Amino acid sequence: MNPSEIIQNNINSLSYFLPELILTGMIVVLIIADLLLKKENSAWTSLLALGGLVIAFVAVLNQYDLGSRSIFNDMLAVDPFALYFKLLFLTSAAFVVLLSIGSVELAGRPVGEYFTLMTALTLGLFLMASATNLITIFISIEFVSVTSFILATYLKTRRRSSEAGLKYTIYGAFSSGLMLYGISILYGLTGTLDIYEIGTKLAASSANSLALLISIILMLAGFGYKLAAVPFHFWAPDVYEGAPTPITAFFSVGPKAAGFALLIRFFNVAFATEATNGEWAAIAGVNWSQLLAVVAAATMTLGNLVAIVQKNVKRLLAYSSIAHAGYALMGVVLLSDQGVYATLFYLVVYYLMNIGAFLVVIVVQDLVGSESIDDYKGLIWRAPLPAIAMGVFLFSLTGLPPTAGFIGKFYLFAALIKGGPGFYWLAVVAIINSVISLYYYARILKAMYFDQQDEKEPASLAVSPYYVVLLIALVVPTIFLGVYWAPLADLANYSVEFLRAL
Amino acid sequence: MIPILFFFFAAVAIASGIMMIVHRNPIYCALFLILTLFAVAGLYVLLNAPFIAAVHIIVYAGAIMVLFLFVIMLLDLKSETSRQRPGGLPRILSIIMSGVLLAELVLFLRSGTANLPLVEGDLIIGSTKEIGNLLFTEYLFPFEITSVLLLSSIIGSVILARLKLK
Amino acid sequence: MEIPISYYLLLSGILFTIGVVGVLTRRNAIVVFMSIELMLNAVNLTLVAFSKQFNSLDGQIFVFFVMVVAAAEVAVGLALIVAIFRLKQTVSIDKINIMKW
Repeated sequence: MNPSEIIQNNINSLSYFLPELILTGMIVVLIIADLLLKKENSAWTSLLALGGLVIAFVAVLNQYDLGSRSIFNDMLAVDPFALYFKLLFLTSAAFVVLLSIGSVELAGRPVGEYFTLMTALTLGLFLMASATNLITIFISIEFVSVTSFILATYLKTRRRSSEAGLKYTIYGAFSSGLMLYGISILYGLTGTLDIYEIGTKLAASSANSLALLISIILMLAGFGYKLAAVPFHFWAPDVYEGAPTPITAFFSVGPKAAGFALLIRFFNVAFATEATNGEWAAIAGVNWSQLLAVVAAATMTLGNLVAIVQKNVKRLLAYSSIAHAGYALMGVVLLSDQGVYATLFYLVVYYLMNIGAFLVVIVVQDLVGSESIDDYKGLIWRAPLPAIAMGVFLFSLTGLPPTAGFIGKFYLFAALIKGGPGFYWLAVVAIINSVISLYYYARILKAMYFDQQDEKEPASLAVSPYYVVLLIALVVPTIFLGVYWAPLADLANYSVEFLRAL
Repeated sequence: MIPILFFFFAAVAIASGIMMIVHRNPIYCALFLILTLFAVAGLYVLLNAPFIAAVHIIVYAGAIMVLFLFVIMLLDLKSETSRQRPGGLPRILSIIMSGVLLAELVLFLRSGTANLPLVEGDLIIGSTKEIGNLLFTEYLFPFEITSVLLLSSIIGSVILARLKLK
Repeated sequence: MEIPISYYLLLSGILFTIGVVGVLTRRNAIVVFMSIELMLNAVNLTLVAFSKQFNSLDGQIFVFFVMVVAAAEVAVGLALIVAIFRLKQTVSIDKINIMKW
């Protein structure tokens, strides 16, 4: 292509880049607004951020008419797969903005920069979901990392928060160094940065499989870090515990889902060939789906086993979210449309119940000032609504009917069984893990419903109407999707389609 | 001439790299790292990448390392130097791990690069003009998006490092 | 005489390993960051070497972006270290790790 065609391609691509442009514009608007607004009015920035997310949401919905295409000279893809994740990111970011408005932890901190960085983080997640070039993949991952480092440390005068931030930054920079080395080896093996070309070149030539294996393992360090998958999960519990709780809720959903989006797109395009309809085969020489299966099994087992001994609810949820990344990975290892579909469905379900659980943590934190399980004792008598809501979310996280979590797990297991006997062992591991998880989720339930509260605690706690509305907004879909899940299932099914070749 | 230069730069890079990770005083560590960076920049010139070599020196030695030195001196970290280093298991473990990593690298590099395709054609040299042409046409999108990344990190650094809350 | 490309790759492997050892053994957070910079430099050397091998500039462009992102990461990391130093008067990772399992 000659330069003028390339420039024309860049200009034409702008119209397919509207949601991201809106977010970029919002970042600038928020900075300026924060500068102009007086300190007592700075809460308005939260509404501005929310408005930006809503406008971007509408823009994403409009993109459904455009079909699949590659933009900016094959740097990004716009396809139903990416749009599905973009909707997930926008809605979860909106929930987190709403959570942040009421949060006591953040009171008195500068909020303008906070919402600016939240918007930037959302933009980074968008890029992760659609990147199709090694350069954009690298930049999008770092984009999300750098903004996450800052947000995790936002309560910098609190010791836990700043220490968590440092740990996060060092692990993040280290794992991105490992990933980059993997990327450079991959470039060396194929001579191109475009993942579609990498896919065709690797399929055509028998590249050195040992070098390719090392490259894949090193790159998994970067992806695994985003997913918080074993053995790159070390940062997660500390960061989840130390970061402001709304941010923790976002970390456990947004970057994790973005990691899945990137992992699925990258591995299926670059390291797999489509064999028959809806099923793929890993490229010859490197059986990466077995590798991922082992990672999935290790991730869920470690997450669940360590969660048992936790006494802090926030930390317990951190380990539980590690375990859930393991469950969701089960769909990826199958190398089939049905597996990806189950993962997509599960990620949305997981996002609803997990943000819900963290919302209860925020409410209780505001009321009691603690995150310890002991302080949840007798919560049902003191604050019935949060206790009941927590019950629903925990049922869903365990995977019990009639909640959304049950349907999500059902789809994953169904895909696994249909995938053939090769992965039955993984299904067995996952079932054992679900039983283990029942034990520690039940511990919270027991504390809330059956244990006697301490006498010195006040008899009843007033939950603010704002939180009541938010709790209901999350409980209702968690139950509703457990009873009538067809719309979400259809959407997920439609979104399995992603740009597979240019 | 080129082999001599290569082995000189390589030796400097490895020696000062090792010095960097063993020296106790963070200031010397930073200075040794700068030496490594200069040696690597020399290698870039040998690899037909003069623009990258220049940017490398300007960005790394000129900006990033100055920032490192500035922070080390600001925090007056000299007192840390006499601290005991970790002995025992973690250290041995990490050295073993690194040894395995290096062995792996040597193994695959020996087997992996033998059949790399050597692309024929006019020699392309990474001059300012060539790189600029690519950056503003094919790679315009990543170029622009990094500006947002830099903006976010500037905002973040300011809120993290400033003394008082607003 | 030309130097074969594998010499450069071997050198970059050695530098990368030195960086990894530094990250794993050093306790001073600033030196850990410097070791990470060394790792990134090794990666850059690999990319430029492959770029020459393939007679294309893609690898060099990638190096350009790695530098930009590294600069952003270092700026945030050092700001974080300054913030922690104000709080605790130390940059040692051992003393910062209060949060265990």
